[in-house]
Amino acid sequence: MADKKNIKVDARLCRDCQACVLACSLHHERECNLELARLVVSKDMARYEFDIVICQHCDEPDCIVACPSDAMILDKRGVVIILDDECNRCGSCAASCPHDAIFYNEAQDRYIKCDLCAGREQGPLCVELCPVEALTFVQAEEPVELEV
Amino acid sequence: MASRIAWDEIPAGTTPYDPENRVIVATGPLTGTLAPTTGRTVMTSISPRIYPRPWYTHSTLGGWFGPEMKYAGYDAIVIHGRASCPVYLEIQDEKVRLVDAQDLWGLDARETQLTLKGRMGSQGSKIQVLTIGPAGENLVRFSSVQHAEENAAAHSGFGAVWGSKNLKAIAVRGTGGVSVADPDALLREVLKEEGDRYSLFITCLFEDGAKKKRPVCSQACIFNCLVSNYGHTVDGRRVPGQCVGGVAWMSEDFMKHTQYSGGGVEIPPSKNFGLCEETSLHELCNSLGLDLWFRVVMQPWFIRCKQLGIHQIRGHPIEPNDLFWFEDFMHRLARREGLGAIFADDLVRAMDELEGELPEELIHLGRELEFDFGFPAHREGRFWDEEPLPFWVISAMMHASTSRDPTIGAHHSSLLLAEFLMVDRDVALQQFRILSQQIWGYPDALEPTFENKAPVAIWSQHQHMLIDSLPLCDFAFPQLVRPIDTLETWRKTEHIVGDLDLDLRLFAAVTGREKNHQEMERVAERAFTLERAMLARAGRDRKMEEAVLAPHFKLPCRADGTLIDEAGFAGLLDEYYSARGWDLELGWPQTDQLKALGLNDVIPELDGYRQNQ
Repeated sequence: MADKKNIKVDARLCRDCQACVLACSLHHERECNLELARLVVSKDMARYEFDIVICQHCDEPDCIVACPSDAMILDKRGVVIILDDECNRCGSCAASCPHDAIFYNEAQDRYIKCDLCAGREQGPLCVELCPVEALTFVQAEEPVELEV
Repeated sequence: MASRIAWDEIPAGTTPYDPENRVIVATGPLTGTLAPTTGRTVMTSISPRIYPRPWYTHSTLGGWFGPEMKYAGYDAIVIHGRASCPVYLEIQDEKVRLVDAQDLWGLDARETQLTLKGRMGSQGSKIQVLTIGPAGENLVRFSSVQHAEENAAAHSGFGAVWGSKNLKAIAVRGTGGVSVADPDALLREVLKEEGDRYSLFITCLFEDGAKKKRPVCSQACIFNCLVSNYGHTVDGRRVPGQCVGGVAWMSEDFMKHTQYSGGGVEIPPSKNFGLCEETSLHELCNSLGLDLWFRVVMQPWFIRCKQLGIHQIRGHPIEPNDLFWFEDFMHRLARREGLGAIFADDLVRAMDELEGELPEELIHLGRELEFDFGFPAHREGRFWDEEPLPFWVISAMMHASTSRDPTIGAHHSSLLLAEFLMVDRDVALQQFRILSQQIWGYPDALEPTFENKAPVAIWSQHQHMLIDSLPLCDFAFPQLVRPIDTLETWRKTEHIVGDLDLDLRLFAAVTGREKNHQEMERVAERAFTLERAMLARAGRDRKMEEAVLAPHFKLPCRADGTLIDEAGFAGLLDEYYSARGWDLELGWPQTDQLKALGLNDVIPELDGYRQNQ
């Protein structure tokens, strides 16, 4: 999809303020809860390094292939979303994700992932809020075609 | 909340290391939410640092602990008693247990956190830890409770209270959330729709201003904080430093600002050791669990010793401008060894110990450097910050009425305005008149005079109380002055007042409760008054405040040479106590006030103390 945009992550710029995570859960779940966010920001204290895990919206998503119950679909924007009613909680999607970006919430017994803030005209909230541009919303890179 | 628990639970006469003393770790209604800077945590207890006699006080620390505690389901943790051996408190949601910590005892704060995180495996990055270092274990009176790289409740010496209770750490993991009454309103407040709302007005005072990206010290902080810096240790690791750590320690030449001369007190400039060395020392200080402020008073004091020909104390050599000596001294402080054993009870108590052995000038200097009931001089216009009239007068009133160095909680509420006065007096005073009229209802609140400053002091104290209670960061709230990006813009600006309702709107968005400034100030006044009652319980009164504090303000202000004698200081107290409605003899709240604030249960005890005076 030529006009597909994606969230680009540069964890080196991150400061661990968690504003993106808190905003994400607030937007999607109406509460501030790190466990209900669609992205995870973590810190390796020994090295003072940060990691941001969020769906990379792969061009050929393994999660869709892995899902046995057709709960992972591409919406009109070409973004992978989870149909919670169809999900059988098997965890195949999370296990197949190369970025570990599909999260299981134990308290609610459901899987959640980034949907690029579906329905939000301004685009993903986390990007808008990040004060250091560790998250940016950019044109998706064209897949590199390897010569065989 | 913390003051109420303390008043109800800590018996009169309790000393810091008495098992009956409590350590109260508290959050506020905004903790754990997206409201900016609300990752802060409050800690209160009877402090061993306070001199000459300990009393109840508070510290706050930034970071990620308070939110995690709230996600686990707790608004406050109250520790009392004493464990029979070193323990740490482990909290995983509703599961709470004390765990043997004999293997952690002796580890530094960084090692302790890494060890506890390591035990959690892949979940390690999700637990948040408060811990003491060796200094707290060894009851150093200015020892800290540490968290993350360099967040600390340090100034009040609560690390030693933890040490006395054999409490090494609290590790918490919470999987819940915090509900928000109006998520859309909170998101609106946080998003940058109206320009760069979340920068600090002092940005314009820094050459690199907003351009440089800086670390944050608290969850949900989206500011580019001007007192934050990254540094690199001697082994090449990047670490963050904030406030006195980022500004004074991790600096090329900041320590030279401790220089002072006047009123018979001479303080030579101190030395920074080089950026990487400073960053490593800063990390060591946090690892040992020492209050970073110790350096601001001890290094200049030792340098003055050298200038007066004192090269050793009780056989221990002193070389305060030598990196390796300084590093060794820090280790000795934390372990109460050698020279460290003398100074582990803090500079002001060391002066009692060394009186008669050293020249009187040095003893006097040591006492002045920690004139504020044992706390290092700060924003009082003499030794550390340049606070020209009227700011040091406002500061003096605050020092005279609160339980500890009050100016740490008032950075944004009034005292940082002094920086503008130093840049361009005429421009600043013109702006101050408009600002004063709008906020305090009269134009001369910030005129460079001694009169009519009590309303500013009281307002600043109430703002401090609200900031600690909500909680918010005092560098960012209240937004007394709106963000200004350059000095050129500042000079052309007539109305500098910021968005003073921002904290109210954040509170309303999270709690669903609309409060106006008057209602919030009443809450703050009640908490402040209760804390004053705690001071009365410890025997603090006007007589003590005049005796301890007035001499310091006879020293000329370093910025403009202004000073005040004992009679003048008494006049300041008259004005302040009158504005508070406190009695002029003891400086304690009156019965009618206590009733009006809903503190009826405080009245009988306070009456009892009055009768014994």
